[in-house]
Amino acid sequence: MPTLLRRAAVALVVTLMPLAWTSSVRAAGDVVIGAVFPLTGNAAQVGIDARAALETEAEIINGHHDMPMLLGAGGGLAQLGGAHVRLVFADSQNNPQTARAEAERLITQDHVAAIIGSYTSATAATISQVTERYQVPYISADNSSPSLTERGLHWIFRTSPTDVMFTGAMFEFMQAIGERTGHKAASVALIYEDSIFGSDSAAVQRKDAAAAGIRVAADIRYRANSPSLSTEVERLHAADADVLLPSSYTSDAILLMRAMHESGYAPRAIIAQDAGFVQQSFLDAVGPLAEGVMSRSAFALDATRARPAIAPVNALFHARAGKDLNDLTSRDITALQVLADAIGRAGTTQPEKLRAALAATRIDGAQTIMPWRGVAFDDKGQNSEADPVIQQIQGGTWHTVFPFAVATAAPVWNVGK
Amino acid sequence: MAKLPDNAILRRRRRELAAGGAVLLALAVLPLPIADVYTQNLIIMALLFAGLAQAWNILGGYCGQISLGHALYFGIGGYVSTLLFLRAGLPPSLGMFAGGLAAGAAALLVGWPCFRLSGHYYAIATLVVAQIAYLLALNWDFIGGATGLYVPFHAESWGDLAFRTTKRPFHYIALAFAAAAWFAGYLIEGSRWGYAWRAMRDDPVAARSLAVRLLPSKMAAASISGGLAGIGGAIFAQYVGYIDPDSVMSLQLSILIALPAVIGGVGTLWGPLLGAAVQVPISEVSRSWLGGAGRGSDLMIYGALIVTVALLRPAGLASLLRPARRPPPAAEARNANAA
Repeated sequence: MPTLLRRAAVALVVTLMPLAWTSSVRAAGDVVIGAVFPLTGNAAQVGIDARAALETEAEIINGHHDMPMLLGAGGGLAQLGGAHVRLVFADSQNNPQTARAEAERLITQDHVAAIIGSYTSATAATISQVTERYQVPYISADNSSPSLTERGLHWIFRTSPTDVMFTGAMFEFMQAIGERTGHKAASVALIYEDSIFGSDSAAVQRKDAAAAGIRVAADIRYRANSPSLSTEVERLHAADADVLLPSSYTSDAILLMRAMHESGYAPRAIIAQDAGFVQQSFLDAVGPLAEGVMSRSAFALDATRARPAIAPVNALFHARAGKDLNDLTSRDITALQVLADAIGRAGTTQPEKLRAALAATRIDGAQTIMPWRGVAFDDKGQNSEADPVIQQIQGGTWHTVFPFAVATAAPVWNVGK
Repeated sequence: MAKLPDNAILRRRRRELAAGGAVLLALAVLPLPIADVYTQNLIIMALLFAGLAQAWNILGGYCGQISLGHALYFGIGGYVSTLLFLRAGLPPSLGMFAGGLAAGAAALLVGWPCFRLSGHYYAIATLVVAQIAYLLALNWDFIGGATGLYVPFHAESWGDLAFRTTKRPFHYIALAFAAAAWFAGYLIEGSRWGYAWRAMRDDPVAARSLAVRLLPSKMAAASISGGLAGIGGAIFAQYVGYIDPDSVMSLQLSILIALPAVIGGVGTLWGPLLGAAVQVPISEVSRSWLGGAGRGSDLMIYGALIVTVALLRPAGLASLLRPARRPPPAAEARNANAA
């Protein structure tokens, strides 16, 4: 028996050896950037999509695709003699401890110039701690928990909006549509999953509702990945608020829509906190039930007139991932674009200079694929020009309905009817 | 049953203590030539899990009470020391013992009703209690709720167990923890308690007829085991710098605490250390080599290895250490007769 075990061990070492070699081979002159995302586990699909998005943007920067946006001309980073951007991916398994260890490995073994991450805020919490101690920039592509940029860290730069900004846009929209139609939302119902994402989201919504003088008719926290949401739906039905504000990841979002349908409850308006509601799998799973659902978003796929790069970048991404860009993948692309721009301006990956270049970032929104005013970091590292949009599912696809200036469709607003 | 002469037992105990000292010395000099942070991290996690698995082994191995809820004690230790640091300014180097005490007390509280259950029912009860505590922690805003707690970093300090990028201090902290857990196991193995617990594990009715009091014995094992796990949780919180219920109180963690002991050998002195030395590097290395591909192949290899070990060495890796020493009971009896 021990010989068998020994043979198994030898076989394993022999199979794994070549992998160790390949990972240590590095082309000279490349700019190496680390990416920590959940590539396995309950959020694996998000990480796998993020990987495709970052690879797409690296292809745009390194190749010759001529996209009408910053660094869209390709050919590598001109200021570094055409150096290519090379990505090294690490799997956080959506676990803060693992994310920390992987960030440390990327910095000390792969000598990455910066790290991009990480979807969930709990993993960003530990990654940003590591990058702070090693003094390497962390580009938060899609973490929305406000606390991340409130800890006085110097090496975190968040390109995308926070939950405070997202929720702010939701209430601005309710205010504006109320004035336009004369049917103001008088009450909202909150339903949110119990992790950092859901509870932070609800906390901001509660505060914004109080400030706007809107009554919170129901405030329901539920267990994430719950097997059933029918009791929660009964409570929502009983409260019958004007606007339902759900904060849920994909499986719960699907469950919620189905449970409401089964109990015969159709809220007059649903404005989701992104996440599960903007995943393609949500649309596929609930089909026509999703009609009329609104969500805040950092991205507007249909804003092709104001952002000419959206269509060609999306085509390139689609060829790689087999799906359209969404709110998360678009932010991953933009994060790498912003980072590459800063590396180019710094002319080096030397940390202090790179940090200074990031802090001095000034990118016009039209030079990106995002509907934002632009990218410029405040002294906490938060992009203060990332204005979210409100989108609505009309005819099975997402249309931007707010701000009215960039809207591509008129919102369907059933409150007061 | 054949009884070894007393001096043979004493000789074996001395040999084991000497081996323990040698391993401790080897592990103490191990980090000196290693400059690579990633490998250092790997060794620290292995040592931490060796200590945690030994803590689990004291209750699950020697006492035979299979717990699937040790993340509860781990989490309590982490939260108590972190909260004392954040709210009362108590340095974690002291706070970790407060965390250990709280976790030990929690183990007594859980044990009081649950030890009246036996076998699978006890295992399920521990799992359920830990899940309830996890949900409570997730919804309790005073301890950070789902948002978790950040451990602030002021300056490098042994009192605060805070170090910027150097890993060596944590190596010795984790080593001290693993060594303390090992030594606790060593003392228990040779003590009256250890014999009583093992007798109880093998046959509770017979043990009771020999005046072993079941509930107090189990309670003693649980408090030692829970207390050690709590200290481990406090060290982990300082090491990672951030805790939330998902990372310190989840069911997955309960399994990871028990796993090295199972792989290495349940109820053996060296099993938890061996198991952690195999399990932690396999999971870390397979992830960093293959995890970036995003196909979960690292987890498949990890799973396959655990299955392989379980099939080839059902008694755990520790049984590799002394293949000839444990003849089957029948042979043992024959030898005794011959003598």
